[in-house]
Amino acid sequence: MSTIAEMVQRRLPKPRQIRLSRRFGSLAGWTLTGACLLVLSALMVWILVVVFMRGIGALKLSIFTTVTQGNGGGLLNAIEGTLVLSGGALLLAVPFGIASGIYSSEYPGSPWSKTIRFFADVLVGVPSIVVGYFGYVGMVQWLGWNFSVAAGSISLAIISLPYICRTTEFALRQVPNDLRDAAYSLGANERRVVFGICLPAAMPSILTGVLLALAVSVGETAPLLYTAGWSNFMWDGRLTHSPIGYLTYAIWTFINEPFASANRLAYAAALLVTGFVLIINVFARLVLERRARR
Amino acid sequence: MKFRAWLAIAAGILPATLAAIVLFLALYSWQAIHFNGWGFVVRDTWNLGNLYANPIMRHGVQVQPGATYGILFLIAGTLLSTFLALLFAVPVGVGAAIFLAEAVPRALRTWISFFVELLMAIPSVVFGLWGYVVVIPFLSRHFFPLLAATLGKVIPFFAGPTGSGYGLLTAGVVLALMIVPIIAATLRDALVSQPVALREAALGLGATRFEALWKVMLPGTRRTLIGATFLALGRALGETMAVLMVSGNALNYLPHNIYNPISTMAAFIVSQLDSALQDPTGMAVRSLAEIALVLAVISVVVNALARLLLLMWNNGQRTLAV
Amino acid sequence: MSRRWILEFSQKHQGNDMTMRTAVTRRKASLALAAVLAAAALAASHAAQAQTRLLETGSSLLYPLFNLWVPAYAKSHPGVQITTQSTGSGTGIAEAVSGIAQIGASDAYMSDFQVRQHPTMLNIPLTISSQMVNYNIPGLNRAHLKLSGPVLAAMYAGKVSYWDAPAIARLNPGVHLPHARIVLIHRTDGSGDTFIFSQYLSFSTPWWNNSVGYGTTISWPAVEGGIGAEGNPGMVNACKGTPYSVAYIGISFKRIIDEKGLGEAMLQNRSGRFVLPDPRTIQAAVNATAARTPADERVSLIFAPGPWSYPIINYEYAIVNARQDAATAPVVRNFFSWALDPAGGNSPRFMQAVGFVPLPPAIVRLSRAQIAKIHG
Repeated sequence: MSTIAEMVQRRLPKPRQIRLSRRFGSLAGWTLTGACLLVLSALMVWILVVVFMRGIGALKLSIFTTVTQGNGGGLLNAIEGTLVLSGGALLLAVPFGIASGIYSSEYPGSPWSKTIRFFADVLVGVPSIVVGYFGYVGMVQWLGWNFSVAAGSISLAIISLPYICRTTEFALRQVPNDLRDAAYSLGANERRVVFGICLPAAMPSILTGVLLALAVSVGETAPLLYTAGWSNFMWDGRLTHSPIGYLTYAIWTFINEPFASANRLAYAAALLVTGFVLIINVFARLVLERRARR
Repeated sequence: MKFRAWLAIAAGILPATLAAIVLFLALYSWQAIHFNGWGFVVRDTWNLGNLYANPIMRHGVQVQPGATYGILFLIAGTLLSTFLALLFAVPVGVGAAIFLAEAVPRALRTWISFFVELLMAIPSVVFGLWGYVVVIPFLSRHFFPLLAATLGKVIPFFAGPTGSGYGLLTAGVVLALMIVPIIAATLRDALVSQPVALREAALGLGATRFEALWKVMLPGTRRTLIGATFLALGRALGETMAVLMVSGNALNYLPHNIYNPISTMAAFIVSQLDSALQDPTGMAVRSLAEIALVLAVISVVVNALARLLLLMWNNGQRTLAV
Repeated sequence: MSRRWILEFSQKHQGNDMTMRTAVTRRKASLALAAVLAAAALAASHAAQAQTRLLETGSSLLYPLFNLWVPAYAKSHPGVQITTQSTGSGTGIAEAVSGIAQIGASDAYMSDFQVRQHPTMLNIPLTISSQMVNYNIPGLNRAHLKLSGPVLAAMYAGKVSYWDAPAIARLNPGVHLPHARIVLIHRTDGSGDTFIFSQYLSFSTPWWNNSVGYGTTISWPAVEGGIGAEGNPGMVNACKGTPYSVAYIGISFKRIIDEKGLGEAMLQNRSGRFVLPDPRTIQAAVNATAARTPADERVSLIFAPGPWSYPIINYEYAIVNARQDAATAPVVRNFFSWALDPAGGNSPRFMQAVGFVPLPPAIVRLSRAQIAKIHG
């Protein structure tokens, strides 16, 4: 008499077969996924090697001490310009970004804060060239500022604003509510709670977010091409009607020149930009990591 | 209350900025939208007309004789390069995320993840430099002829001529590398945050570790993957500098094979603005603004969708800000 | 104060001999280097007063010449800082019109309509240039292939797509042409090179004139595999990097073309002779056409008659607004007078370095008359 157990056993495939094919499947799975990671890391290494090897070969003291002349010279003007433009962008974006971050974290349920959060996320995704073109027709032409620090910085500020808003919000959310409650119970008003308690507690994370926004603006090209222009000389201090140089322009333009001296400028600029961006990112990561561990 | 009101007003700059961008572009390109009509998206000729002739009146606006503005070739270039990028990036991103989440020791995981995610921080123009200096020569000399000789025999779209190395496939590869960390990072986080019980149950029922992952845990992250893919899509659609430097800036034709030069909407805005400035009627600059508007609307829609999906499914656990 | 240190410092490194080179300034200069960031921040409040800044932008063909001119000019005129930028003639014209740049460099003159639209704009020839048709055919780059306007038009229209096509072979008897697909390279930016190249095609080939025509930006016929390149530098790199390609490149890039080992085609002129651009053939074309230059100097010199005339030559224009602000006007006038001077910018030393030809005296007079119109 055949038992139910026998029937089940008949319906199942032979154990040995299952084991082999399944083992093979698992092995293939691990191999393939491992290969994916390997390929990614290898490409990352490749990019870094290209940028660093060629960049170091092109770095000379004169890069930091002289301005660009035609297809040669240095990058002092571009380094200054990048700092001025990104610094200006931060100056504009930080107050507004932190304010919107505070609003969306401290009044999380309100419709306005949901709107802010949503728009910040959408604005992050707007292509930077769209912002650049807006800057061109809006500021360079319509307002008549010409290529200028103002037009370039505002374009960059538009791009970094949502980053700062979101990172501020996340940082403030990490502040325990007990702290807020304690402060309120001691009679502090909203302003005191935010500025006296929450912001100081979240400051390292907020600063990290600001630094990351700085890294983004330092690496941007498209929004500056038609707003900041380019200049071979140091900034003359005017906010409008005076173009300014920046490193990413040097990468884009000088790599396209058939002259070795120009290519060297591009490689040096790429090294400076990439190095700066990587350092900020590593630093930010270390800060966040340390706070997470605490 | 006063404090809150001030904050609310300051925060209003975010929606105001986006609204200003879209409105301004819409107003500025209004004449072009009127002049180009729907043909804008189905014609594949971008022609400023005869710049040295006197302007004529057409449809009530002043344009150069012979001017037609159509961006079908740009839409095709944008969609094809984005599609290729996703085709490469999604599997590789998923694979890398799985391996990172499950096979890499915990101590190493953070740092290897971080290293790969650093790809996101590298500026677009540096990707462009890398593509221009090393990838194009490599692909055009070694890989493309090989691909055309093998896969090209089977699929006509892969057949030669393999051309210069500037083109669709190169753009797709570079774009893929730029978006793959978005997918890998988001999915890895989702995998790590899956309940441990799921895996243990699967292992208890006799699954191998890979099966537990592939058949039980991965399906649970499907929604995250879709959301992340949308984010990646948004970035690929709007990517400018890297594409500009490796795509070959094709004008007025659709790619006949996968190696052909293309151009994308974002790259075209950069490469064509100075030509457009030559049009004394200003219609070319306005038509470029129309491209920027189309791009802005597409990216707003794609990103809004992505955020909504992630928000609905994930309760906003992780948002990719960087 | 700190602003001045930086200026002096940077000028010193530009080879500017006229800055004060006292020990004190040198020490200040090194201080400025150390504190360059702080100094730059301070500088924001002190706009430079003694300096006049000019922005020159446009033609990538003129760019190499401006890069020779500017340091030389700065030596004798320390108060003038000129930024040079290679963006394409289209940008040069547009930014000179809009006032973003004081000097727009262009290989193309403005259209009649543009001039009517902006009546204060001047088109001032500074020198005479020419254009090469270059190619990269392994093994044939030193052979000087012969090409004609109609054959180039057929190539750029996609009617001739292989190098061994009968149309090309007929012009090059005895040359073993490879059966390889022609990769066409054209400019993506608004370009005076596109303008003069498409004029050559238009003036020599009626069907091209009727279907495509000429301009700084033209609607290139859709040909599979065609590449767009940015500026003359981009053309050189694309041509070098792409076997079997063809490109049109300004003469000021001749040296780099030779360095990269690219081919240079002989072009058929109006008399049917195949010629290379050299001082003799360019001068022949100038002699045949310059006399018809009108007072506003907007004229095409393309496809000149004469047995030895090179077919693609052109005036290199500075596009300038006659109305400048009071401080800038004399500076601009001075710079242009220097540029036109046979002992200054038009000296053989500069001209030969970039393969240009100086303006004939009659044209210099016309240009000077235009320069005199620039006022504050």
